[in-house]
Amino acid sequence: MSSGAGVYFDGITSAQREVVVELGSDSLQISARDGNLSVEWPYNEIEELDAPHSVLRLGRRRSASLERLEIREPALAAEIDERAVHVDRTGSSQQRQRIRVIGWTVGATVSLLLVAWFGVPAIAARLTPLLPPSIERKLGDAVDAQIRSMLDTGKRNTALECGTAATEIPGRNALNKLMQRLEAAAALPVTLRTNVVRRDEANAIALPGGRVYVFRGLIDKAENADEVAGVIAHEIGHVAHRDGTRAILEGAGLSFLFGMLLGDFVGGGAVVFAAKSVLQSSYSREAESAADTYGTDLMNKTGSDARALANMLEKIGGATEPGMNILMDHPETKARVAAIRQRAAAKSPQPFLDPGEWAALKQICAGP
Amino acid sequence: MEEAAQERRALELNLRQALASDQFQLYFQPLVDLRTGRVTTCEALMRWKHPNRGMLQLRQSRRGAQRSSGYCLLRGLPLFLLIMASLDAGRIATGGAVRFLGERRSYWRLLIRGAALLMITLGIYRFWLVTDVRRFLWSNTEIAGEALEYTGTALELLLGFLVAIALLIPIYVGFFLAALDLGLLGKLSGVLAFAALGVLGQYAIYRARRYRLTRTIYRGLRFHQTGSAWSYAFRATLWWIVTVLSLGLAYPFQVANLERYKMKNTFYGDLGGRFEASGIALFLRGLPMWLLFFAPLAPAIRGFVGLDWQALVDAIAQGGDDVMSKIEGGNPGLGSAIAFAMLMGGTSVVLGALLYPAFQALTLRWWSSGLRFGTIEVRSHVRTRDIYGAYARFVGYASLFSIAMGMVGAIVFSIAGAVVNVAKFDTADQIAITLLLLGVYVIAALGFSTVYRATVQLSVWQLGMESLELSGLSALEKVKAGGRASSALGEGLADALNVGGY
Repeated sequence: MSSGAGVYFDGITSAQREVVVELGSDSLQISARDGNLSVEWPYNEIEELDAPHSVLRLGRRRSASLERLEIREPALAAEIDERAVHVDRTGSSQQRQRIRVIGWTVGATVSLLLVAWFGVPAIAARLTPLLPPSIERKLGDAVDAQIRSMLDTGKRNTALECGTAATEIPGRNALNKLMQRLEAAAALPVTLRTNVVRRDEANAIALPGGRVYVFRGLIDKAENADEVAGVIAHEIGHVAHRDGTRAILEGAGLSFLFGMLLGDFVGGGAVVFAAKSVLQSSYSREAESAADTYGTDLMNKTGSDARALANMLEKIGGATEPGMNILMDHPETKARVAAIRQRAAAKSPQPFLDPGEWAALKQICAGP
Repeated sequence: MEEAAQERRALELNLRQALASDQFQLYFQPLVDLRTGRVTTCEALMRWKHPNRGMLQLRQSRRGAQRSSGYCLLRGLPLFLLIMASLDAGRIATGGAVRFLGERRSYWRLLIRGAALLMITLGIYRFWLVTDVRRFLWSNTEIAGEALEYTGTALELLLGFLVAIALLIPIYVGFFLAALDLGLLGKLSGVLAFAALGVLGQYAIYRARRYRLTRTIYRGLRFHQTGSAWSYAFRATLWWIVTVLSLGLAYPFQVANLERYKMKNTFYGDLGGRFEASGIALFLRGLPMWLLFFAPLAPAIRGFVGLDWQALVDAIAQGGDDVMSKIEGGNPGLGSAIAFAMLMGGTSVVLGALLYPAFQALTLRWWSSGLRFGTIEVRSHVRTRDIYGAYARFVGYASLFSIAMGMVGAIVFSIAGAVVNVAKFDTADQIAITLLLLGVYVIAALGFSTVYRATVQLSVWQLGMESLELSGLSALEKVKAGGRASSALGEGLADALNVGGY
């Protein structure tokens, strides 16, 4: 049996007491030199606590007490290390624990990525149909304000929307006629609000709640009204499938997951933003081909030429303007074009507009 | 001068009495790393049982791998002479009361491992890293011969974070729905959210401080904090508004006031704390820096005041393609005013960056010197040039890291450029490139934050601690336990809201 000197704190007062530590067979005895302290710590109840390297600091395991015993003699420390199971100066048990923690956190990360990839889209898809149209409309209006401020560069002294000035009214009427035929066939629960906007890109977007914006560049590129109608039919597909609403829910879910749960560990919304754009571009590919199918069926239902959508896709898939990039969201154009042509039922198709009306539609953004 | 001479005479008298009544004890001791069994430091230690000030310690040590304990005895004499020299210099009270024993190398290792794991786990590892950092800093800080101890665990932090998230979700959903409202509520929702989360952030800061204090153990007793976190949060929010409105002039008074509230509610066992530094002292010392920082901005602002604002507003309101020329016509001086403002703003930013370490040293000195626990008084002698040294090390390591990253980046991107076929650029390539850029960003951000923690953060901790002069330590002999361990909710909220601390 060996013994040595130590410093003891009783956890009740801050008094620092020089003590003699005696190592018994299954416990160590702590006694003060002045004789008015005698404590016994069984070896299996002792744990090692953080301290500088030159100190072995011991406490009682699983105890709320803050009793501490400190040893500075290397020989005594080594002997206690040998006897007490939970004192491990080599650090190997701590190493094992650390590896377990790493294993768990990596596992948690993998599971969170799986949730982001599969869970969030699935939840958004389930939630979207449950959202009442009134909320969806509000959501659409909130998004609309944002989108309009992005689209409206305010360079010209004209409104963003075409079809309001006197010279543009015939074009607006032609668009209304086209839309009536599409809307009657689609029979959506929401009313569509379609507008042509003064933008040079060949593009069209659908917002939650039935708002559709057709960019002037698209009408410029189209050879006939059916091609315009085909793209609008595709956008109606997005409205019918409530893709916009779903994308917003997905976005909210992802920014919650990456931004809040995982923490801003490098102070970057940049990570969140990049992760979102990567994930969402993969969601929208499926949504795009579903909208193609819907658009083709809708064109078939109206008795018009669905191949016009395919023709238009070929055109804008090949030459898109930078900025509002339709290519980003419309990949693998060739495969889509082929799928639409196959689905199109081309039996004596009826054109949407006569040549006069088509000429008027071309002038919808002529300005006053 | 007169005061210093008196102090010296008193010291001399004290020393004579001390020698006569055997108040000195002298030790030479090797410090042994208990894990490796190697002698890492030789130390000469003189204890002085001071009649009024309690046990004072004077230390001199030499670090470095030593051959044997016998070797330390050889080193003992010069170390003893150093102690006598420091006595002679009248620095008795410094006495090496606070020491930092951590090795830089271990801290680097801890941080680099932590950064790698943060990256792999997308940040989940942060609870463990924060705990490791605190354990390192606390357990290597020795006050009057006894090291602090941090008893918090990563799992407590994780739990606190999850509870905080559960509390925040309804709040976030509420603000999301409010933002959809097209009326007044929708317009105000952004401001409301900012204000509410701001107050909540201050609440979290106070609660997090309580968590850290109750996990800090010293001589077998814990620290604790009373007081209301809500009351602190409103007080702090009001002060922030005043500080922003006063362009920072109210900042010293804000810190003094908030620190008084915090310290009034801080206890070591049953020993209550106070804060005695005054806002006006910091204000007067900081004012020259404030003036230097704002000096370049004042003429820039004056340049704008002289403009014809009506013409400017009209030109913008009219719009049109020639808006720029109209603006130029109404205000020929606008272009040069903007250029001048940018130049002056840039000067101000550079000045701010150069002055910041001095400001930090100043604030640290002022703050530390205001801390009190019962009869224990603290004075800080942290030197401004040492803080500049810490930042210089940061700049050095950060440049090295940037160069290394630039070289690795060039190699990776030239390989990627060879692999990716530009003609057939499809979605898979696009995702790959996004991920690559993301990786570069994350590595850079983690790298710089690691370098910052290992240089500035560690040095400021070490310098701040080691430059402390404590007096009245005899109060430490009879403190009784008090306070209980608090929950980690505050830490969780602070984490979720991104308001940090140590």
